[in-house]
Amino acid sequence: MTSPARGGLAGDTARWRHYTLAPTLAVYLALTALPIANLLVMSVHDIKWEQGVAQWAFAGAKHFAGLPQDQLFRDGLVNTALFSVCAVSAELVLGFFLALFASRVVRGRLFYRTAFLLPILIPGIVIGAIWKLAYNPDFGVINQLLGLVGLPGKDWLGEKSLALASVVVVDIWHWTPFVFLLLLAGLESLPQDVYEAAKIDGASAWQELRYVTLPMMLPTIAVTAVFRLIVSFKVFDEVYLLTGGGPGTATEVVSFTIYRRFFTEDRIGYGSAISVVVLFLLTLVIVLALAGLRRQRDEA
Amino acid sequence: MSTLTAMPRTRRWAALATVALLASVPAAALGQKLAPITVVINQSPWFGGFAKVVEAYEKETGNKVNLDVNPFAGSAEKQRNSVRAKEGQFDLLVMNSTWLAEFYHGGFLVPLNEIDPGFKLDPQVINYDDTAYWDPKTKTNNSKTGVVYGVPINGNIGVLYYRADLYEQAGLKVPTTWDELLANARKLHNPPNVYGMVLRGARSASDISYDWMPYLHSYNGAIFKDEKNGDFTVTLNSPEARKALDMYLALAKTAGPPNPGSYGQAQVIQALVTGKAAHGTPVIAAWSQMDDPTKSAVVGKMNIAVLPRGPGGQHAPTLGHFIGAIPKNIPKDRQVAALAFMKWFQTYDAQLKYAQAGQPPIRKDVYGADFGKKPEFRWMKAMVDSAPYPRMMYRVPEGAQIVGVLELRLNQAMIGERTSTDALNTAAAEIHEIMRKAGYKTGRLPDLK
Repeated sequence: MTSPARGGLAGDTARWRHYTLAPTLAVYLALTALPIANLLVMSVHDIKWEQGVAQWAFAGAKHFAGLPQDQLFRDGLVNTALFSVCAVSAELVLGFFLALFASRVVRGRLFYRTAFLLPILIPGIVIGAIWKLAYNPDFGVINQLLGLVGLPGKDWLGEKSLALASVVVVDIWHWTPFVFLLLLAGLESLPQDVYEAAKIDGASAWQELRYVTLPMMLPTIAVTAVFRLIVSFKVFDEVYLLTGGGPGTATEVVSFTIYRRFFTEDRIGYGSAISVVVLFLLTLVIVLALAGLRRQRDEA
Repeated sequence: MSTLTAMPRTRRWAALATVALLASVPAAALGQKLAPITVVINQSPWFGGFAKVVEAYEKETGNKVNLDVNPFAGSAEKQRNSVRAKEGQFDLLVMNSTWLAEFYHGGFLVPLNEIDPGFKLDPQVINYDDTAYWDPKTKTNNSKTGVVYGVPINGNIGVLYYRADLYEQAGLKVPTTWDELLANARKLHNPPNVYGMVLRGARSASDISYDWMPYLHSYNGAIFKDEKNGDFTVTLNSPEARKALDMYLALAKTAGPPNPGSYGQAQVIQALVTGKAAHGTPVIAAWSQMDDPTKSAVVGKMNIAVLPRGPGGQHAPTLGHFIGAIPKNIPKDRQVAALAFMKWFQTYDAQLKYAQAGQPPIRKDVYGADFGKKPEFRWMKAMVDSAPYPRMMYRVPEGAQIVGVLELRLNQAMIGERTSTDALNTAAAEIHEIMRKAGYKTGRLPDLK
């Protein structure tokens, strides 16, 4: 039985916890919940400007119903999914092996770590300029290098069949360092006694990687993959700077569609509806990924 | 006793005379500065010339002008955000013809006579299809029924750039029709060294739609049946439009680079200044780069002419000009300062400086100035020749959506994803839907077969 005095203290503590949480909650509401609520409200309205004043007209689910007919939205979703899966898969593989190398190498450790991290330090606008020049069919370094070995140059960003892959390559170049950084931190925090035990048992390098490193790194890899998937789903600057979504809709991604509908065409309600759908899809990815991680942890 | 009455009589009169004299002198002449203003503008090929004129204004008047320079699409968005705020950030909006309608229809701008009842556009300022005037009642650009809302900042239009040296070598005549241009371009097409014709075939905020519009209009086609008189029946899928698009595609495919669908204006200018293109139709503002030895490998070799026309049609360069206007939502002192800049900008001397910086002046009389006869100003003749023909692309606030449709469907035709017939039918259906939803009197032609 709880004494009134203790109950009172427990009650005070609980209240105090709520009070101390209140500022954080208020900031969260102001910066996250309110903008999302505003987005939801806008997505069911048509908003026009007359005499300098915004005119709101309720549109119900009209904007959402129009989405399946929107070719840019449809192609944007497909391209974004393709882009995310291809880019993140490649970044994980490359990032993992670079991290493995950087954690094992004895000499020049600082040099390798700095060199591998460099691309992530470059601002997006500079990356756009660097790669736009590199991909230039007439003056670009890539075609010049191909020419040196007798291969014909390509219009990397202008050919429909190559454009998306070319943008994926830029994303891999840009973001692999981030994956490298997270996985390197994970690798360096693995318990060394397990490796010593493996060595005593006579495990080869491959067996050590397959049966020790990978299983222990799986949670870190999974979190990195989820994080990168979410960020890559929002890709915008690389597409904006390199291709503008073209040729045709070959590199149209959903963030670019939102930008076009919301800002360029000033269709605030419709642009908000696309944003809501994308938000829902991203939330679904997070929920599924968290459930997967929990199941994995439970099984472990 | 006041200080003045305490003075001896002669000194008192002298003091009063000085005050009267000071009051009669313009503030600028005394170095009294107006409020600093911020101009929101885009980084176009003509921006360098504008910046020089702004420098001259600051030097001459002592007034401060800040330039907020942005990419083309970014400038429109910044202007939109500013005019919708409680108090605007920008005092002078440099608006392209593609987003003028949105700002006029939205009621964001102040008539210039509300700031200064005596203000009027100088009669020498070029009219640019009445786009500096707005009639809020009829919602049209009309210099007779409307009032002045802006001052043209740049008379940008598309012109034909051609390599005069190659023309001379091949004994070619400057083309006046698209067929003649096609023949000349094919003759000079020598890939990969020189492409006969580079077009702005890319899909962007405004590339292929702007580039193709002179073909459409000069083949007697149009997006709408009679936009000026309120008939928004979509006529984009007409036989004339198909002929115009087929000509455009023929130029791109038989005399252009391998992937013309990825060339925006920057790539077209790059191809011209590096000597990789025999023809191109970028805007006149790009001219300043052609004779700049730090940027061009074809100094003195390029010339320009009025854009060709279709069979039986008129020349029809599209207006890509800019109007400077003042938003409602800024304090009066900043409105006054912004108008002071525009009054100065439309003067002969200011426009002379603008032209000497290689940019198309907005005054007719500057085109007649003596310096225009010098070889480096040979672009001025093409502007004079083009003067009777420029046309607006559209005049409705839904223009950005229409351009979005055109950019995608025309680019799909350019890259071979759709036939010209399919591209025009699809675009016409989509534009019709935009206009129907926005409540216009509209309809559309039956699909092209």
